[in-house]
Amino acid sequence: MASFVQLVVSGLATGAIYALIAVGFTLLWQTSQTINFAQGEFVMLPAFFILASMNLGAPFWLAALIGIALSILVLGLLFKLVIVDPMLKHGVLPLVISTIALSLFLKESAKDFYSSQAQPFPALVPSTDVHVFGAVVSTQSLAVLAVAIATVVALHLLLNKTRLGRCMQATAQNPTLARILGIPVRRMVLYTFLINGALVAIASILISPIYLAKFTNGETLGMAAFLAAIIGGFNQVRGAILGGVILGVLDNLSAAYISSQYRGAFPLLILIAVILLRPQGLLGRIEERTV
Amino acid sequence: MSATEPVLILDGVFAGYGKMTILNGTTARIRRGAITTVIGPNGAGKSTMFKALFGLLPIRSGTITFDGRDTTNFSPRQMIDAGLAYVPQGRNIFPELSVRHNLELGGVALSDQASLPDRLDKIMQRFPMLKEKVDVQASTLSGGQQKMLEVARGLLLDPKLMLIDEPSIGLSPLMVQEVFAILKALRDKGVTILLIEQNAKQALQMSDYGLVLEQGQTRIEGTAPNILADPRIVQLFLGGGLAQPVAVS
Repeated sequence: MASFVQLVVSGLATGAIYALIAVGFTLLWQTSQTINFAQGEFVMLPAFFILASMNLGAPFWLAALIGIALSILVLGLLFKLVIVDPMLKHGVLPLVISTIALSLFLKESAKDFYSSQAQPFPALVPSTDVHVFGAVVSTQSLAVLAVAIATVVALHLLLNKTRLGRCMQATAQNPTLARILGIPVRRMVLYTFLINGALVAIASILISPIYLAKFTNGETLGMAAFLAAIIGGFNQVRGAILGGVILGVLDNLSAAYISSQYRGAFPLLILIAVILLRPQGLLGRIEERTV
Repeated sequence: MSATEPVLILDGVFAGYGKMTILNGTTARIRRGAITTVIGPNGAGKSTMFKALFGLLPIRSGTITFDGRDTTNFSPRQMIDAGLAYVPQGRNIFPELSVRHNLELGGVALSDQASLPDRLDKIMQRFPMLKEKVDVQASTLSGGQQKMLEVARGLLLDPKLMLIDEPSIGLSPLMVQEVFAILKALRDKGVTILLIEQNAKQALQMSDYGLVLEQGQTRIEGTAPNILADPRIVQLFLGGGLAQPVAVS
């Protein structure tokens, strides 16, 4: 039982990170039909921004802020201006292919310009164990959970409790109508890209102490975010959160209790079940066809 | 500006989608403070005319004059600022937001944001139904209530002219009467209404003027009673077509 609690807590921590990545992924889809297959690499890269800043002498907290700022700038603003805007004119598929190319480019760049070796990455809190309900839980898992939950709550408040957030939702739900009401649609779309830049940077800070910073990290993370988004529902932020958490917990439990060799298969089994039984995702809404 | 002066003038407007030209030199004069109904067969360019007027489609040639200003190729935002509101065909609400937040989004373009609460209060007094449902999710409203919400949202900025595309679609006859009554009340308060209606007869009966569009050109422009009485209307709707544009006063 104790180990079960431990597995669930660390699963929740991983799942919360997946959720952050998946939320950004679905935001881009909702506002601009961008399916970002480089999302995993977007999480891999900020860790290297941070390590590079630390190599230049910055303390971790400052390096983390620089990493988040650079990520918002490069993976948010530049991504939108240099890749999404020119490609989206040609349709969703050319844009998807461009993001696949970008993912390769980012991966190879991290390898060539930084290192092909996994780099140790500082943790947010010193790794000790605490006892929760008789189970041993690492402080790292708790810190990851706390930061991820705080981020999701902040995003929720922004999207639902502010006029700006509702303008962003309006843009996502019906861009033509948003335009008719005078909502600056292009700016709202840009904001979601900046938010995604921040989300992937936070995810990067949370995951890199566990996985180490490595140029291949994006492969599994991108896949996890994609699966989480489909399982939870592509068009709902809360769907992406649920999908991420399910994946994280399931991954840990199945590895411990069923088979660690087949741990990669279980998320796919859930994916198949969801696609067969509830193709819009667990919390997704069936998209109305626009004429 | 006198009341008889047109508030909106289209002069030889050409517009369309891609290689398709829908408006073929559309010319029209919309009278201030009146209800004008645009009728015409499917594909005549009625909705396209509205989109072009509101800046959602580029004008290829010709001019649009609104309230004494040349507004040709203004953006939707500029048209809102100039005093135009547009209620498109179909469902135009944000289903997952509350009625209040749907209304509020109609005020995004407001230059004086401090006046928004007052405006919301005023609108809700005019539409008591919305006041009752202000905190419910908009998707739970009936079709007629949703249309009311759209009209109310369009009124938030006190537009001079409102474009309404087929408000009666999918509504019960009773609800259609109610929507039409609201439009008449708006007209009496000085808002110019430009309306597209499939149900031409019923719409013309409550309109002041009518405009018959065919193949992107104005075929007949005149008072609503005259258009209702015009034998060519029947011919047009039966697909005979009219060769010459004719002005009926």
